[in-house]
Amino acid sequence: MAERVIFVCTLLLAGAYFWATENLPSLEIGDPLGPKAFPRLLGAALLITAVFHVLEMIRARKSALVAQEKKDPVDRVSYMVVGGVSIWTFLFFLVFEWLGYMIAGSIYLVVLMSVFNKGKWLMNVLTAVLFSIGSYLLFTKGFGVNLARGLLPF
Amino acid sequence: METFTHIINGFAVCLQPINLWYTFLGVFMGTIIGVLPGIGSSAGIALLIPVTFGMDPTSALIMMTGIFYGTKYGGSTTSILIRTPGEAASVMTSIDGYEMAKNGRAGAALAVSAIGSFLAGTIGVVGLTLFAIPLASMALKFGPAEYFTLMFFALTAVASLTGSSPAKGLLSTILGLMVATIGIDLQSGQPRYTMNIPEFQDGVGFVVVVVGLFAVSEVFRGMEGIFRGTAPQMIKIKGKLWLTREEWQRSIGPIWRGGIIGFVIGVLPGAGGTIASIMSYTTEKRLSKHPEEFGKGAIEGVAGPESANNSDTAGALVPLLTLGVPGGGATAVLLGAFIMYGIQPGPLLFQNRPDLVWGLVDSMYVGNVMLLILNLPLIGLFVRLLYIPSGILYPLIITISCIGAYAINGSMIDLYLILFFGIVGYVFDKVDIPVAPLVLSLVLGGMMEQSFRQAMTISGGNPQIFFNSGITITLVIMSVISIFMPFILSRFKPFKGVPLAEAD
Repeated sequence: MAERVIFVCTLLLAGAYFWATENLPSLEIGDPLGPKAFPRLLGAALLITAVFHVLEMIRARKSALVAQEKKDPVDRVSYMVVGGVSIWTFLFFLVFEWLGYMIAGSIYLVVLMSVFNKGKWLMNVLTAVLFSIGSYLLFTKGFGVNLARGLLPF
Repeated sequence: METFTHIINGFAVCLQPINLWYTFLGVFMGTIIGVLPGIGSSAGIALLIPVTFGMDPTSALIMMTGIFYGTKYGGSTTSILIRTPGEAASVMTSIDGYEMAKNGRAGAALAVSAIGSFLAGTIGVVGLTLFAIPLASMALKFGPAEYFTLMFFALTAVASLTGSSPAKGLLSTILGLMVATIGIDLQSGQPRYTMNIPEFQDGVGFVVVVVGLFAVSEVFRGMEGIFRGTAPQMIKIKGKLWLTREEWQRSIGPIWRGGIIGFVIGVLPGAGGTIASIMSYTTEKRLSKHPEEFGKGAIEGVAGPESANNSDTAGALVPLLTLGVPGGGATAVLLGAFIMYGIQPGPLLFQNRPDLVWGLVDSMYVGNVMLLILNLPLIGLFVRLLYIPSGILYPLIITISCIGAYAINGSMIDLYLILFFGIVGYVFDKVDIPVAPLVLSLVLGGMMEQSFRQAMTISGGNPQIFFNSGITITLVIMSVISIFMPFILSRFKPFKGVPLAEAD
């Protein structure tokens, strides 16, 4: 099933890429090939890859000797964990500049640690807050990197 | 004679106190990154790029290269103690290393791993010192057509040798090249595929792609493991961190052979540390008087592969420094770091910046000595990192990744991109699409297109230019062979069913 989805996605992507390439305005002054030539080659290469993939699928079906790595299955747990963490991270990014790195980072970490390191409240809260403050100071004062200040004056 | 003078001057550069400090910092962080799950050398180097802006390029590159070979030392610790390779290339070490640990010989396994890494790492750096100049001289003959076919060969080799399916490797490669076309076309000034997002005019930064694909996706997998309760159990170190006389005698041969195998494989694009360690393991098993002990705690099964995967790092730097073409994910990130400092690796670098090249190469001799000290008497400190609860560690890694991504341009788009590429990396892992080819092609994409267009302009639009010289014809033939290599390897017994995916 996954293999068929990859095949269909490859074809769709190739189609979308060709369409986007053909819609690029042509400004081919001083360059005989222009900005479209290389992308066209890539689109064609993607189509060849799709064909190559189909051949592999047929070969795998015939031989049934494909090495399968033992991996966790994709099921409800996967969707729950990856979906949940992704949404929470997205929300963290939404308030990142408004709240600032230290406040947003502390809240973000406390919640994640409470879920994945259950029952150790004191350890989680202390680690989250101290890490946020420590990393902010290290990066802004130590390395001269700008991080969002947000609501805090420093 | 002139080269010898440059090598000596390189020691003068790398032995400056500031560069010694950065070498130490690099190998120290590399060991930590190797021990900890989640970051890996590619993402580790990428995350450091923003914080090293403003530093002297030589010092910054010495530090980043230190991370690259330092992770190999750290990766073996987790292989031996929890049977989870900190680096993909340590996968063979986990077989006999973990069995040795179960038999109460964890100290000996860690010791032979550190000593083997040191000796083989030094063999690799000697090889790099000897082969760099001849290869760089040859590369001076390269024009745009030669460079295009060379990059084409590097990409096909990585695509076909990484992962279990050549088609998926090629797919990953082409996706990387497509991402590389986003942004303003430098020759025509034409914006391409920017979707009217101003931040995309400069293209998609490779740092965010690397951090997303390697670090964030690894955090997702780790968090999933916590939920499923599949987190590995650690074996405590028992006994002395040293070898018995018999263990030493059994290890010295595999260390030398592993060092040579690793260096040779490392020079070839795409092959990488995983193949080097598999080849070393099978060689030792064939040569051993006790092949039945392999898989049950044979010290040769640790000494050989561990040496091979360390020597491989020096080999991997040969094409990067002499030709400016990386052969894998981590060296691609290093190339990106060079470019961000305005330095183009390649044959001219040896003429224009011998202080930088030889300072960097010589720092690896010093770094290997530092790593030996860090990984023998101080290994207990690094092992303590494994006691940090995963539920604390993973959220911290994802936050560090965010800081690293945001620090580049202070742009929120970069944060959303690391999340996007993190999800992409997680999905790719589930469906067995390797991510290393994507990173390599993303870094090489711009240069490859430029070489292609320059070559076609020179030839007046005639593609025959790619078949005009002995070098281009050889490289095209090698590219075709590399595409069929997985089918040849699949018939070779030791590689049957072995996933060759490189984490970095």
